[in-house]
Amino acid sequence: MDAFQGLLTGFQVALSLEGIMFVLIGVIVGTLIGMMPGLGPISAIAIMIPITYGMDPAPALVMMAGVYYGAVFGGSTSSILLNAPGISGTVATAFDGYPMAQQGKAGKALAIAAISSFIGGTVSVVLLMLLAPALSSVAISFGPPAYFALMFMGLTAISSLSEGSTIKAMIAAVAGFMVVTIGIDPQTGTQRFTFGNVNLFDGFDFLIIALGLFAVAEVCMLILNRKNRSLSDDQKLGSLKLSKADLKEMSGPVSRQSFVGFLLGVLPGAGATIASFISYIFEKRIAKNPEEFGKGSIKGLAAPESSNNAATSGAFVPLLSLGIPGSGTTAVMLGAFLVLGVQPGPLLMTDRPEIFWGIIASMYLGNVFLLILNLPLIPYLAKILSIPRPLLISLVIMFSLIGVYSISFNVFDLYMLLVFGALGFAMRIFSFPAPPFILAFILGGMMEQAFRQSMTISNGSLSIFVDSPLPLSLLLVALVSLLVPAFLKWRSNRLAYKQG
Amino acid sequence: MKKTIFAGILSVSALTFAGCGSDDAANTAGEDGNFEPSKTIEVVAPAGSGGGWDTTAREVARVFGETEIIDENMTVINREGGGGAIGWAYVHGKEGDAHSMFVASPPLMFVPLNGQSEHGHEDFTPLANMIADYGAFAVREDSEFEDLNDLFDQMKDDPESVTVIGTSAPGSMDHMQFVRIAKAAGVDPTKIKYVSDQEGGALTAVLNGSVDVFSTGVGETIEQVRAGNIKVLGVTAEERMEGEVLSEFPTAIEQGIDESFVNWRGFFGPPGMDQAAVDYYEAKFQELSESEEFAEVREKYGWNEMYMGSEEYSEFLEGEKEEIAALLEEIGLGQ
Repeated sequence: MDAFQGLLTGFQVALSLEGIMFVLIGVIVGTLIGMMPGLGPISAIAIMIPITYGMDPAPALVMMAGVYYGAVFGGSTSSILLNAPGISGTVATAFDGYPMAQQGKAGKALAIAAISSFIGGTVSVVLLMLLAPALSSVAISFGPPAYFALMFMGLTAISSLSEGSTIKAMIAAVAGFMVVTIGIDPQTGTQRFTFGNVNLFDGFDFLIIALGLFAVAEVCMLILNRKNRSLSDDQKLGSLKLSKADLKEMSGPVSRQSFVGFLLGVLPGAGATIASFISYIFEKRIAKNPEEFGKGSIKGLAAPESSNNAATSGAFVPLLSLGIPGSGTTAVMLGAFLVLGVQPGPLLMTDRPEIFWGIIASMYLGNVFLLILNLPLIPYLAKILSIPRPLLISLVIMFSLIGVYSISFNVFDLYMLLVFGALGFAMRIFSFPAPPFILAFILGGMMEQAFRQSMTISNGSLSIFVDSPLPLSLLLVALVSLLVPAFLKWRSNRLAYKQG
Repeated sequence: MKKTIFAGILSVSALTFAGCGSDDAANTAGEDGNFEPSKTIEVVAPAGSGGGWDTTAREVARVFGETEIIDENMTVINREGGGGAIGWAYVHGKEGDAHSMFVASPPLMFVPLNGQSEHGHEDFTPLANMIADYGAFAVREDSEFEDLNDLFDQMKDDPESVTVIGTSAPGSMDHMQFVRIAKAAGVDPTKIKYVSDQEGGALTAVLNGSVDVFSTGVGETIEQVRAGNIKVLGVTAEERMEGEVLSEFPTAIEQGIDESFVNWRGFFGPPGMDQAAVDYYEAKFQELSESEEFAEVREKYGWNEMYMGSEEYSEFLEGEKEEIAALLEEIGLGQ
């Protein structure tokens, strides 16, 4: 069966009454779960697995896929409105989305996020449809040395994620690296900084850190700045309408980052979170006015939003065509496949075309539904901001606690949320930027493991990073991105000196 | 004292469900030394959703319910963390509770032996083993290795040239099943290069040639073998497995390496569970294992039947533990 015929089969599944219904249920549940700070698609899919017992696998999986990308779609809402990331993939959305909302442009920010998500999602479904079989070779092209080089490239962006002091950004990043080493080291089984406490054996879940450093710290700031209580009255929804200039500003980042996000999503282990960060940094690097980033830039909002949604579809490439789950969520999805008696892998496309193509076709529909669902909701969602501050603060704290507790139902994690909240608050007070900490935490763990895997494979020779073209070229890109800004700065200083 | 409380709980529940005949019977039976569950049974999966433990627990609970082998509800809860240690500590705290159990497999042995859990299998009450799974050693389709002896000969000549990858940590299942077979073939177990990839990149690293051998469960290899991406050099089962594709995998024993490894999976209760309750669950698990419905489940996931009652299970585990502890000691990972 060729791809075109396959896709027709897929649309037959997706456009049947049953198909439409389950896509709709999936994306509604996904959006709602995503909007709650901390509650993510993993728990939603896990809860659904028993419900799907005995269901026909195609609609069941179409629904679960809908929950997954629906959650990423909806996750931006609380990042933008409350600085409390809905899911880990929307942490970077808060960097510019929250400042925009603070400036009374909440409606616009939500609209930009929705449209960027829609385009990112749709572009990547097209790519998924056209390239899924071919891309499975891309998904396996990254070995440990290439992963190390990719993570290293991402890390060169630490300095560009900081406002003000580079030294402080570096200190925050080092702290992030230190925190990610907590737990049992996968390569040796040694306990690091666990103090024998079994709760620390697995290290910290990313969400604990993201909610602590962003949501809890933000809440502390709000309490501290009590005189601004009237702020909520001034904070208007703002117009939903995007001007032509806005659309033009978005178009560049959205079109670029839809591709970048998709490609990063295809790589097992990278996923939506890393994709959103790399896209944010990418756009900031090439922007004419990088100083606007972090202060409510449209580009800075559109980039991670198109990227994280694109990465979500990208993650289906290794899952469907190789049977490799690239992230926690896709690992649970894989479990759902197996429970329904479907084995994802290289033969899925020929063995069960209705499932392979049905999921892909349903994503077109799902993305349209999400846009239709989300746009009219914006005015109502933005009203959250006019909830009296004391109530809003309590709600954010409550949802953050629920979100963290739902990760592994462990009370210890709740204390850790407070610890990271306190850390985030202290960092705010002493103006240490949080994004470098977060970035180091996300990339550091994988980078260390990839480095040490490479060292074991090469018997300790560093040449493994330059012997093959893929890691070598990634390292060269990293080098260029480190040197070019330094060179530009040096030249402008020299010019200023000459003119002075 | 405990018995009084227990009887108390039973009579309270009998009152709650007044009119339900079987509760009356349960109450009197309790005094005879027989056991009937009187409330929902909690089955702990000491891991997140979607993994092997979770799937086993949920399928067992589902079939128990559908076949009405056990009338009471069984509910699966996930207690994730520390490679199982969090869930084990949780069940360990329910001493004597006859309505609680958890699903386990060899990590219940590996993790404490590596010093990462205070609780090992001997701290719990074995109820029954249900299924067996086996390990497989796979290489890329175009690899120069044709069988396990090719691979192990190369490792004897030049141990640095071969890297093995698996999902579990060093000293745990994917690592130790390889070490166990390789050692039996004469490879120096201290020189085996093993890397762990817990982010899902292990298969990828084999397919792109970064590493040479993938040590994993047989189930993970079937699709890739069917697609012609990898070949399985050997499996750790005692004898040939049954089933399409599976029956093509040669065992290590067939290749002259006299060693095997079984990834057993069964159920344990908290410490100090009443003997009457143990007898009850043992019998129910046996009924389940022999049922047609559970045979379908085994077939769906490619699991093998391996029922062991409480006592047999206990003895089997003791033997396994001794062997693994010695092996860990030898490669310098023992605690």
